[in-house]
Amino acid sequence: MISIQNVSKHYGAFQVLTDCSTEVKKGEVIVVCGPSGSGKSTLIKCVNGLEPFQSGTITVDGISVGDPKTDLPRLRSRVGMVFQHFELFPHMSITDNLTIAQIKVLGRGRDAATDKGLKLLDRVGLKAHADKFPGQLSGGQQQRVAIARALAMDPICMLFDEPTSALDPEMINEVLDVMVELAQEGMTMMCVTHEMGFAKKVANRILFMDKGQIVEDDAKDAFFGNPRSERARQFLAKILTH
Amino acid sequence: MYEFDWSSIPGALPFLWEGMKVSLGITACAVLFGIAWGTLLAMARLSSIKPLAWLAAGYVNLFRAIPLVMVLLWFFLIVPQVLRGFFNLDPNTDVRLASALVGFALFEAAYYSEIIRAGIQSVPKGQISAASALGMSYAQAMRLVVLPQAFRNMVPLLLTQAIVLFQDTSLVYVSALADFFGAAYKVGDRDGRLVELLLFAGAVYFLICFAASQAVRHYQKKLNAHAAH
Repeated sequence: MISIQNVSKHYGAFQVLTDCSTEVKKGEVIVVCGPSGSGKSTLIKCVNGLEPFQSGTITVDGISVGDPKTDLPRLRSRVGMVFQHFELFPHMSITDNLTIAQIKVLGRGRDAATDKGLKLLDRVGLKAHADKFPGQLSGGQQQRVAIARALAMDPICMLFDEPTSALDPEMINEVLDVMVELAQEGMTMMCVTHEMGFAKKVANRILFMDKGQIVEDDAKDAFFGNPRSERARQFLAKILTH
Repeated sequence: MYEFDWSSIPGALPFLWEGMKVSLGITACAVLFGIAWGTLLAMARLSSIKPLAWLAAGYVNLFRAIPLVMVLLWFFLIVPQVLRGFFNLDPNTDVRLASALVGFALFEAAYYSEIIRAGIQSVPKGQISAASALGMSYAQAMRLVVLPQAFRNMVPLLLTQAIVLFQDTSLVYVSALADFFGAAYKVGDRDGRLVELLLFAGAVYFLICFAASQAVRHYQKKLNAHAAH
């Protein structure tokens, strides 16, 4: 589904990604973790072309992201993305947030789009808030709306960029619950997150990144049981002690 | 001691009202055109296409560095010739209003573009990312997501600029166009009551602009209260 081959990226002289390669098969859930500044967010943003990269290739469903001939907006409309800071459109109601791209990008009719949007809103448990504005919802609620907004486009896969790191602790689980459910339904997912509980529960593989490189690309049990690199061992020791 | 005599004002009110309509008309046109052209300039200036950004920056810096009265005078002298040349107009057609409108609009666009540029930059970058990630083109992301938020943040500044513009319309007197100020001047000059008429005109400008800026302030308070919750 997603194939990343020898991707490198630099800002001027600063190397952000170095020779990253991995493969995400249909229905797989991949968790990307690593210390801050290791390039995890940059890597995931390369997958839908929000960040350009200088060398290597990324293909999503057989379509090359880096190819200048690729219709990027069209490809992006098929890849859902959830951001750290939710990025709901604050000047639109929740319903409009859920329908605008369906109508303007996919060309769906307003009624069909609203129907679809409200169904997904119900699924994330927020149907009662359809007419509110993003500013009236809590962070956890906003992030659940953001997930519903991405799902409304019928994506072939979902990218999550630290979806819970801007949330108050008591709101993290409501978002993770939605993500777990999504994973169990077979959605192909690539998640940058530090939530190791989530990773243990649903991930097929863990990518561990450090200094722009993919240091480990292991099955979940191998990663948590016996990480090969010293760097990953240190990282796990630090975040799993408490 | 100077004896005030206000008696020429009541009879001149219809004529002054005609002048006020010209002033308001120029203001409205310059605001609308200035915002439209200013938005394009702002987007050009923020564009990643360098020559476009340079052209827009050159335009804005040029107009912001020249006194308005000079721009108006140039347009008063040049635009009539150009218009006559293009449209084959009768040399006696009065194109003073048109030249004033064009001058104001082009000049104000430079100021509006700076306000709008700041407004666009006030919208978090993540909003464009989110719009792009949903498959919107750059134009759609600007039109549906960024500009509506930018304009909402900018409304008080845009209105304040409109108030300044309304005062500046009095500068069209250089083209002998009878705007409100010009009309008041003419009446005062005719009746030998210039002091009274200009005091009256000043009071009218003050009332309109003061009321308008109070309204803007009130609106801004409401906007801030809304943003806070």
